[in-house]
Amino acid sequence: MSQAVQTGKLSADEIALYDRQIRLWGMAAQANMRSAKVLLINIGSIGTEIAKNIVLSGIGNLCVLDDNVVREEDLGCQFFLEKKDVGKLKVDVCSPKIKDLNPRVNLTVDSDSLANKEETFFKEFDLIVATELNRDQIIEVNKISRKLNIALYVTGSNGLFSYIFVDLIEFVSEEEKLKTGRATIVGEISSNKTIVEVDTRVDDDDPKKIFEMIKTKNTYKPFKEMLQSATLEGKLTKRQTKRVNSILPLTISYLTTIPSSVEELQKNTIATCNKLGLLPSILKEEYIQQFYKQVNVEFAPVAAIIGGAVAQDVINILGKRQSPLNNFIVFDGITLEMPIYEL
Amino acid sequence: MSRDSNITKIIGKDNLNKLRATKCLLIGAGGIGSELLKDLILMEFGEIHLVDLDTIDLSNLNRQFLFRQRDIKQPKSTTAVKAVQGFNNSKLIPYEGNIMDTTQFPLHWFGEFDIIFNALDNLAARRYVNKMSQFLSIPLLESGTSGFDGYMQPIIPNETECFDCTKKETPKTFPVCTIRSTPSQPIHCIVWAKNFLFAQLFAADINVDSNSENKDWGTTDEDEIKRIKQETNELQELQNIILSGDNSLIPKIIEKIFIHDIEKLLKIENLWKTRTKPIPLNINDIKTDLTDRDLDLSALWSIQDQIQKFSSITSKLMKRMEEEDNHIEFDKDDKDTLEFVSTAANIRSHIFNIPQKSVFDIKQIAGNIIPAIATTNAIIAGLSSLVSLRVLSLLDYAKISKPTDLNMTFTTKASNISQNRYLSNPTLAKPNCNCPVCSKVMRGVMNIPSNIFKELKLKDVINILAAKYNFDTEELSILDTTGQRLLSDFDFDSLDEKTLEEIKVVPGSVILVTDETEDENGMGLKPLELYIEAKDINIGKISDIALPDLKIPLVQMTTPEEQNNESSTFETAVLQTNEVINLDIDDDNEDLKKRKLQEESSNATQNKRSKHEEDDMEIIEEDDIIELD
Repeated sequence: MSQAVQTGKLSADEIALYDRQIRLWGMAAQANMRSAKVLLINIGSIGTEIAKNIVLSGIGNLCVLDDNVVREEDLGCQFFLEKKDVGKLKVDVCSPKIKDLNPRVNLTVDSDSLANKEETFFKEFDLIVATELNRDQIIEVNKISRKLNIALYVTGSNGLFSYIFVDLIEFVSEEEKLKTGRATIVGEISSNKTIVEVDTRVDDDDPKKIFEMIKTKNTYKPFKEMLQSATLEGKLTKRQTKRVNSILPLTISYLTTIPSSVEELQKNTIATCNKLGLLPSILKEEYIQQFYKQVNVEFAPVAAIIGGAVAQDVINILGKRQSPLNNFIVFDGITLEMPIYEL
Repeated sequence: MSRDSNITKIIGKDNLNKLRATKCLLIGAGGIGSELLKDLILMEFGEIHLVDLDTIDLSNLNRQFLFRQRDIKQPKSTTAVKAVQGFNNSKLIPYEGNIMDTTQFPLHWFGEFDIIFNALDNLAARRYVNKMSQFLSIPLLESGTSGFDGYMQPIIPNETECFDCTKKETPKTFPVCTIRSTPSQPIHCIVWAKNFLFAQLFAADINVDSNSENKDWGTTDEDEIKRIKQETNELQELQNIILSGDNSLIPKIIEKIFIHDIEKLLKIENLWKTRTKPIPLNINDIKTDLTDRDLDLSALWSIQDQIQKFSSITSKLMKRMEEEDNHIEFDKDDKDTLEFVSTAANIRSHIFNIPQKSVFDIKQIAGNIIPAIATTNAIIAGLSSLVSLRVLSLLDYAKISKPTDLNMTFTTKASNISQNRYLSNPTLAKPNCNCPVCSKVMRGVMNIPSNIFKELKLKDVINILAAKYNFDTEELSILDTTGQRLLSDFDFDSLDEKTLEEIKVVPGSVILVTDETEDENGMGLKPLELYIEAKDINIGKISDIALPDLKIPLVQMTTPEEQNNESSTFETAVLQTNEVINLDIDDDNEDLKKRKLQEESSNATQNKRSKHEEDDMEIIEEDDIIELD
């Protein structure tokens, strides 16, 4: 990530406006956010939620890239849009509304097509959030983000179901945790995470409280590699393996190959299960049917949940608080399950 | 394609039509409420009634996305409704008011709704709405957030646990002696400065404190109690200085509280056997510079700056006392009162060798500010609106066979409970059989013709209740649960001859009726809770009073759990810790362990909700969470 961070002091006005969140992540993180430059690719239902959340929280610079025009069906899931906007460019309609949410944020919009964008366009950003892209587009954006060392979040929506893919390349997070009986030990904790340093700190107010400051190195895989080699083998216990939500193999399968029928989806997903080291028997028939029916469908409550989770992680890594998501999350809007897998 | 083509693919045309005919109540237009309003509109709920009593504040704007700088001081409910007009298709009805106001929102008004969404910020209102949902058997979607933590819980009356089935944390308290004599943490000094010093100097009607002989002082040391009482009397003199308006006497105040009082404390040697002794201020440090200077509110100031600021702010408040009728209340947003409390607390901290805090930090502690962010609110509101589809049976392919198949959720990744799931989603528990709200009582509505309400005596009520339910009038006790007042029992009948109006039992009141008779096995009739309503007929008789047709069962009157109420709090805490560890290190065997814990616990539902309860503890937003005693 390019770290041209000019952390000036926050003004009294900013402290008053951001009072309730500064109390959570501190002044330094808030100042870091002010200097960040974020690119949002496509402003659909999830994109709208992400834009709202990060702009309210005081991100410094946001650029929205989207060449779509407003369609009638967008009105049912995107709150920036009104009936009179149908047919207009989405970025033109959304731009004044995003600005109005927080006039301090420096907003730019771009209605050019993603396909026309050269590598140089992406250079200036610290972070990219891409929504509603197909496999090849994701691979293309990821190639550039890797080359330029930019953090990437990818998310998409399939009705009641949704996913988040994260590629921060390599990221060291610092976390503070109250020390319990057993001390945290330096070393590998999972396939993508290694604890590299543990320091302790005594609480200012209560000398009996000791905090551990833990540095964790998170490593990530590019999207293309994840699709090819993703497996859960050795990462879960037998019991956990049996309980993996159908939405995981369904999503991976759909991102790999778009099927032309529900039967083909089923066939592909069984193959995906085998690759992931899962028994095809975990697949629920009803989920296959519904997933196929709801592919690419946008839904406001799901967008709010996924948009909230992505925006929260973006804020966390810009403020360098809390450990980031790593690396593939699915959401099941029926059971409200939201597991995080290291693929 | 049309506006509804997306949602139709998810729930189908018929169910969409049902949703469009659904009438919901949304209580709260703040952080979660703004988000919920947006989600419910986009889902095309037919009618949304939005209640909020609050106005918009600058510090709301970081998350309440429907409000702008220009809306500050405007009512939240009406402003929110105006803000959503561009994308709204539902019928929206805003109300400015307190949901607990029975005149504006009587029970039958709640009865109009198919489902209730709670987006509240305080325990009292959450409890109240929970009770209304229980009275009327309306599903309630309860939710709350505090910083990164959030939860959402569907409540299906009689089928799943209600809001009061698990114990909620009450405000934290400190022993008097810790605050007055032996502080050891910044919070002790802040409580002293706010609840004691500030209250005594600017907000007290002079000396109510020391008269109470039976007060629990938190110590049995006679010397210390004597000293505290004397100090309180002396404070009256300080209040006189404040009232005199003579700011040349300010050094006297400082001398008294930061030198003389500390010296007296030092004389009680018992206190300092195991503690570090405080060091009183040096008399030379007390200067009479009253210029009002602007200092950085997020920085730590030197002790000289603290003393100087304390003097200038006291002078300012002295002047204000004259203008404000000799009474100023502490308010976190009133800069003068906040800076008085901050400097007094920090000077005391300095004396007791305790770390100081910035004004910014003290504002949070003294004002009981709960951190709040847009993202957690968006997630929780999304979950709440989403689960409503299953609560209302609008997902044909995900029908529930019983309400306990529904899921509640709480944040786990952001709350640092688990690294391998973003949310935890346990299915709902059955009602807790010891719950005072949903299980320990029968419930119903008592409809009284409005023309006889005026003359109706408590005795009449006792008689008709006894006739209807076979109660023993000699053993009957009646409690006003709204005000927690005893109205009548076997050795208190002085109110029996009064009318309901005289004893302030009005439409909207809730009374608890208990027949204390127990048989040899400790069994007795289950208590009955009645909501009082006035029926709109003008020619009624006492015999026209409508009581619910209930068969009141025999239940165990005194249970071992009730006798051991004290220790159960401890048990809960232990269970919570167990499960937090459990979630973290052994995701896999969670269910198994859960079951094991349930067997060990008399309260089978509590452990499931460890985190949930922890959240509740933090979302209690009362004015005075920190109490002296």
